[in-house]
Amino acid sequence: MAMNLTRRNFLKTASIAAASVPLSKVAARAESGVVKTPQVAPGSFKNTKTVVGGVCEMCFWRCQLVGKVRDGRLLKLEGNPKSIDNGVSLCARGNGGVAMLYDPDRLKYPLKNVGKRGEPKWERISWDEALDICGKKLKEIVDKHGAKSLAIFPHGSTARYPMDFFERTVGTPNVSEPSFFQCRGVRDMAYITTLEIAPDEDVDMANAKVIFLVGSHLGENIHVSHIKGYLKGLERGAKLVVLDPRFSAAASKAHIWVPIRPGTDTAMLLAIMNYLIENEKYAVDFVEEHGEGFDEFAEGIKEWTLERAAAECDVPVAQIKQVADLLAENMPNVAIHPGRHVTWYGNDFQRERALACLTGLLGAVGVQGGLVKPKGPKGLKRINWPKAETAGEGDLRRMQDVHHFHPPGCPTELIREAAISGDPYPIKGCVIWGQNMIQTIPGQDRTIKMLEQMDFVLCTDIMPTDITMYADILLPDCSYLEKYDFIKTGTQWDFSDEHQQYIAPRMALVEPGFERKDSIWIVNEIAKRMGYGDKIPVVSQEEMMAQSLEGVGLTLDKIREEGGIHIQPGEDPYGNNEDLLVYFFSEEMDDYDYPAIPTYIPVEPPPAGYMRLLYGRTPLHTFNRSINNPWLIHEAPINPVWVNDKVAVRLGLKHGDTVRLVNQDGVESRTTTTVKVTPGIREDAVYLYHGYGTRNKEMTFSVDKGVDDTSLITKIAIDPESGAHGMRNNFVKLVKVG
Amino acid sequence: MRYGMVIDIDRCVGCHACVISCKAEWEVPTQYDRNWVHRLGPAQTSHGLSYTYYPGLCNHCETPPCVPVCPVEKVRMTMQDAKTGETKTLEVAATWKDPFNGTVQIDYERCIGCGACRDACPYHARYINTELADDNCLGKADKCTYCMPRVAEGLEPACVQTCLARARIFGDLDDPQSEASQYVEKGAVGLTSPAVQIGPNGLYYGSKKADMELLMKSSAPKEMPQVSTRRAALEAMRLAAKKQMNEVGVLGLAGALIAKTFSSGREEGK
Repeated sequence: MAMNLTRRNFLKTASIAAASVPLSKVAARAESGVVKTPQVAPGSFKNTKTVVGGVCEMCFWRCQLVGKVRDGRLLKLEGNPKSIDNGVSLCARGNGGVAMLYDPDRLKYPLKNVGKRGEPKWERISWDEALDICGKKLKEIVDKHGAKSLAIFPHGSTARYPMDFFERTVGTPNVSEPSFFQCRGVRDMAYITTLEIAPDEDVDMANAKVIFLVGSHLGENIHVSHIKGYLKGLERGAKLVVLDPRFSAAASKAHIWVPIRPGTDTAMLLAIMNYLIENEKYAVDFVEEHGEGFDEFAEGIKEWTLERAAAECDVPVAQIKQVADLLAENMPNVAIHPGRHVTWYGNDFQRERALACLTGLLGAVGVQGGLVKPKGPKGLKRINWPKAETAGEGDLRRMQDVHHFHPPGCPTELIREAAISGDPYPIKGCVIWGQNMIQTIPGQDRTIKMLEQMDFVLCTDIMPTDITMYADILLPDCSYLEKYDFIKTGTQWDFSDEHQQYIAPRMALVEPGFERKDSIWIVNEIAKRMGYGDKIPVVSQEEMMAQSLEGVGLTLDKIREEGGIHIQPGEDPYGNNEDLLVYFFSEEMDDYDYPAIPTYIPVEPPPAGYMRLLYGRTPLHTFNRSINNPWLIHEAPINPVWVNDKVAVRLGLKHGDTVRLVNQDGVESRTTTTVKVTPGIREDAVYLYHGYGTRNKEMTFSVDKGVDDTSLITKIAIDPESGAHGMRNNFVKLVKVG
Repeated sequence: MRYGMVIDIDRCVGCHACVISCKAEWEVPTQYDRNWVHRLGPAQTSHGLSYTYYPGLCNHCETPPCVPVCPVEKVRMTMQDAKTGETKTLEVAATWKDPFNGTVQIDYERCIGCGACRDACPYHARYINTELADDNCLGKADKCTYCMPRVAEGLEPACVQTCLARARIFGDLDDPQSEASQYVEKGAVGLTSPAVQIGPNGLYYGSKKADMELLMKSSAPKEMPQVSTRRAALEAMRLAAKKQMNEVGVLGLAGALIAKTFSSGREEGK
């Protein structure tokens, strides 16, 4: 009733305060009948329920959350006050999870593509029909060509269960995760080869005297507890050294910024190490005790004088020396950061090896400020699909005898090549789960070619993305706020605090909306239809969590009662270097004919008139994953291209000009962006935030906004040791539009 | 008591969490912001390169220019000191400065959305949510409240709570012991300029001269906005007249007479 709608407002605001006139007679109506009660939001703390047990997955750091829920609607996410990791803090993306949850563009129902791949027409179908199609098609392909004819591209915690099913039980070796082959796999393998330690980003920055970042743009790349450690270190007086062609967020906080020529970092690292050795400014006793092949190493890098590196890196001799001396003066309490996204040039294994060797040379392992592995809780049970005897048959990498230091899975390029050529065998089925391959993997035309020749493409995701346009069947996944699928564990982030461990199982904060289903249910249903019903390890996500937690004597209910996080006493992570070996010279690498000491492999310089295309993170997005989030895209609507101010003058470009980017192969960006003129980038490079330039019109908040850097990465480099992609060997020029 | 917010730009990493948490806390429509982070630079300064941030919000100024321009007819409002219980009755329009805690607040019920306060603020801290326009108003003014409803419950402002860098220090600038006051001792300053001296209680601290130079140069307003109070007043009258016309239409002549009686008695009334 209009009367009721406007009554309160009328009484409060009407200049005729007709309180004594009977309301029935004061049938006052505004001309349109629209008088709104002002929407004064009461705040997330009023009349809400605090739901515990959230574990974020806006990125993969997985901060612990609580949700403020009113009438079943999530209003706000906050850091869980019980957390000894992120605490009550979240980043912008973590806070933005609410807008992801209710993004109207999200996938809601199972969809069938009745159009073409790449130009989809979606028809809503039932789960039964969708699962029947998936089961039938995938089984047909496996029956006809074998398990190896399936290619699996998973990402994130949602994808672990399906990945295990297809890799272990169905048995395909063709599984490729972007976190390994387009991000950090190279790093982990190089460190394992050098130190037998998978480093993650476990440098004790909070207690370091020097923090040494090679290209890591902390601050633009945000992981909450990691940044807390970094800031704590700076607050405690750590000196920050940043190598970056760009004056990044980290460079702006640095004591020494080295605007190094892109692609030459390994040369500088070798020169630093050579200088330290020649001047006996390294951890002599440590190296004596733990070093392997040190003499060959020292001999092998002798050619790397400061002068030679200075010329190669375009950095003054004095600055390289200054950095080396700073490291020596503060060793072993130096945090040589291993980096995160490190697939840059296709020679990245060698750079990561050099970083690991520098860490060893300074004795910076297991000590305050060094590379320190936290001692997290043990005993959680890993629930897994049973491994078929035939699993792994047809491993392309093994067949070609390449990339011997590869991270788990198969290098993406080998799968793509085999699928396109049909050699050595056909790859006809594709399962893409939580990954947008269009914006993850360089060489988009080749990805599309691969998909076009498939007999069946299944995508599961929470959002439509550029890759879901290529699906035959598209399934709507629950987001991380609507399910139980991961147990985050760890320790307090500052090792100088009381040692504690935590176990935080992800619990749903709200019920799944529409017809979204969790990945455990979806995979089990597909497995049944493919004839693997008897192999199913758990019937539900809740059961998976329960079984996992059984290993440590906990239950979801108990942890919920404890506030969503179980905290227990921890252990001192320092020390424990007894068995440590530092392979300065790696016999293993030598056996496979790779450079056995860290070796600088130069990259092609930009052709005349072009600049190297560099890309990185904005703190507002996790690549393209979060790009359609209404709150986040509103904050950072496009990705302006950073251009050096002197270059801009030469090119006649002004700040704010609209440009298209064209690469060395003549590939043009589909969309445009604006120019950001700044002295904060070298003249030989330009820089973009990664993840923009969405082409899928179903992403209504982000479509066509900014430029897709991946579309311009057409020249593909492959790291020989790991098989990972290198993505910074492409060059662009800017063409003014309008 | 005088609430203030110090932002330590040495600590800030520019993550924008403050902006997004505020959106969630107060259900701020996507296209509006009660607070913001501007990424500044990298730019050259007389002290070298700087790449820093301007996390901005309402400064709850000592002489807020947004308050006197409000054309809404004043009413008596009794305010209470949250600590002592002491009360004061003031005549206020639809926006005012709290005599006890120094914050500047808005009455969303009485706001007519004319935009005078928005136009008066040299920091662009206010917006008009035109989605809330109806027959009585053009929308509603809105801005940061320093999260007073949260503070009343013993909580930190939402932006302060979520800040991973602990770069936002909220507190009583009248209390010399507060961390915020200690930042003032250390040199935290407001974004002021010769022409804009309205006592902002939002203050900025940075130890690097380059960063402070870039922040002040890019973000301290250089002049006070000129606001047409006449236009705002006319708008207020127009809306009131329109409403009266509507009401008269429905009530008829007798009603209008009653209305007039009540209207003239209102000052003493409630």
